[in-house]
Amino acid sequence: MSVAELEATEIAFEAPSGLWRDAWQRLKRNPGAIVGFLFVLVFVVCAIFAPWLAPHKPLDQDLSLLGKNGIPPGPSSEHWFGVDTLGRDEFSRILYGARLSLLVGVVSVAVGLSFGIVLGAIAGFFAGWIDTTVMRVMDIMLAIPGLLLAIGIVAALGPGLFHIMIAVGLTQIPIFARLLRGSVLAQKENDFVLAARSTGVPRRKILASHILPNSISPVIVQGTLALATAIIEVAGLSFLGLGDQNPARPEWGAMLTETNQYLQAAPWLAIIPGLAIVVSALGFNLIGDALREALDPKLRGRT
Amino acid sequence: MLRFVVRRLLLLVPILLGVSILVFAWVHALPGSPVQSLLGERATPELVKQYNQKYGLNRSIPVQYWAYVKTTASGEFGTSIASHRQVMSELRERFPATIELAVAAMIVALAVGIPLGVIAAKHYGGPLDHASLVVSLLGISTPIFFLALVLKYIFAVKLGWLPSVGRIDVTIVTKHPTNFYVLDALIQGQWSVLWDVLRHLVLPALALGSVPLAVIARITRAAVVDVQNEDYVRTARAKGLAPRIVDRRHILRNAMLPISTVIGLQTGLLLSGAILTETVFEYPGMGSWLRDAIFNRDYPVLQGGILFLAVVFVLVNLIVDISYAIFNPRIRYS
Repeated sequence: MSVAELEATEIAFEAPSGLWRDAWQRLKRNPGAIVGFLFVLVFVVCAIFAPWLAPHKPLDQDLSLLGKNGIPPGPSSEHWFGVDTLGRDEFSRILYGARLSLLVGVVSVAVGLSFGIVLGAIAGFFAGWIDTTVMRVMDIMLAIPGLLLAIGIVAALGPGLFHIMIAVGLTQIPIFARLLRGSVLAQKENDFVLAARSTGVPRRKILASHILPNSISPVIVQGTLALATAIIEVAGLSFLGLGDQNPARPEWGAMLTETNQYLQAAPWLAIIPGLAIVVSALGFNLIGDALREALDPKLRGRT
Repeated sequence: MLRFVVRRLLLLVPILLGVSILVFAWVHALPGSPVQSLLGERATPELVKQYNQKYGLNRSIPVQYWAYVKTTASGEFGTSIASHRQVMSELRERFPATIELAVAAMIVALAVGIPLGVIAAKHYGGPLDHASLVVSLLGISTPIFFLALVLKYIFAVKLGWLPSVGRIDVTIVTKHPTNFYVLDALIQGQWSVLWDVLRHLVLPALALGSVPLAVIARITRAAVVDVQNEDYVRTARAKGLAPRIVDRRHILRNAMLPISTVIGLQTGLLLSGAILTETVFEYPGMGSWLRDAIFNRDYPVLQGGILFLAVVFVLVNLIVDISYAIFNPRIRYS
């Protein structure tokens, strides 16, 4: 389901509707977007095909590889990224780590996006006391620093994959809600909405088929950027020791933390998972940034 | 203007009430009861009942909440379970440390981010523009703790140029009247202490400042691109004003509006990032304090600390909103 969602976003670009076709044309000519797509493609392929691509099992240990004092050897032809401090193949663990990051990223953004869209649309469309209540609650959530909120939620629910996804997703709700509310408010006064209203189209239908489709593009841009944020935040939670506790599911942030004390003897063990996070986050950020420019109506027509 | 400030101050009330309810509910949702963890093995049903009575934990939830609000409003945050010290007096040491770090990080972010954004906008679409895009996207995409570890490894461990942990050299014995170490050293004229404190600040500030730097560079670029095509900029140029004056008075001043919003929003993120940065550099601020409190289930510290941070964040955003009116005379809040 998670991967299907990603693909759905990509298919949407090719749909021959005016704005999107235009945006697609401009994306194709943006080198940043192409690099971003490549990074994300590598990331997604690694994530989906990790069991077939990985030369070793993520839990397979070979302690005989470790040198004196338990210092792991560096990269070799057998182990491309070397082995970690427990004699496990680092390359395979990075591949499996992509799987976890993709899953967590997509699910948590889906949580934040769906709740945020519903709340933002309701607040923007109905205005009045509903708007005030919803937005004040969002302000309260924004008043607590995001990572602290996520840490708090994980601390209350207990560590575990599912709780981490919920925690990261919840912290993203207010951003989506604010964004969609703002653009719904802007669309609401447009002539085509007034026209629909004057011809007696029901309010629910106006919201669903006139306002939402026209206010969704900033949300899609934010969703792409939020994937990057989610990957980084989950790594941060793991770094603080609040990550997924299952050793069979390697996580980049946790891999970085585990090898922290070996920084001098085996710096690559910390640098490689770190770079993996940077590259995948950079991929989503590049796409998000290019999408924002491509969808900007002010820049439309200029290529 | 005055009415606007008063109205915004009144809006603080529901937000603070909401945050306090959230924090209160959250502490109650945490697994394990305080009495259970206090008594441990000795917890017999009678003892638990007795302690619940003693600490008022047998009262109804609204009554407990009201008691919590009353004590908190009087500036009383209770005693830390881990250190047995007053939460307020720990806060007085921790908060200045984080503020010092956050200010240093923001200085880094502004000093590099704004020029980077302006340069990118001046060369819109050119190679310099693309280079600044790559730099800022890298800044956003790099986890703070990873950057912090790399900086620590290169500059502290390998090169040995800068200290790797802490806020001040442990061998330095000096007074800290304000707990802002930079300020303390300045007041007392201790230049060697000042130098040491600043050296301790460099790496954490660079790591923490990376994300706001990137965001500020992007926003500055977008704002300057928008403004430099305005008619009044063309007019200013046409009447022969020096380019430097046009840049400063016409372009940058108008571009400051979106930039100041971002500075406010980034302050909240700085507090989040401080948790990670302070952990890597063992820096004794709010971030490492709250992190330890979560692991120790130190409820008084958590309740007090989170509420305090939320208040600070809301106040910062209020200041940003007011600074809007100063930067942009067109906005008149009524």
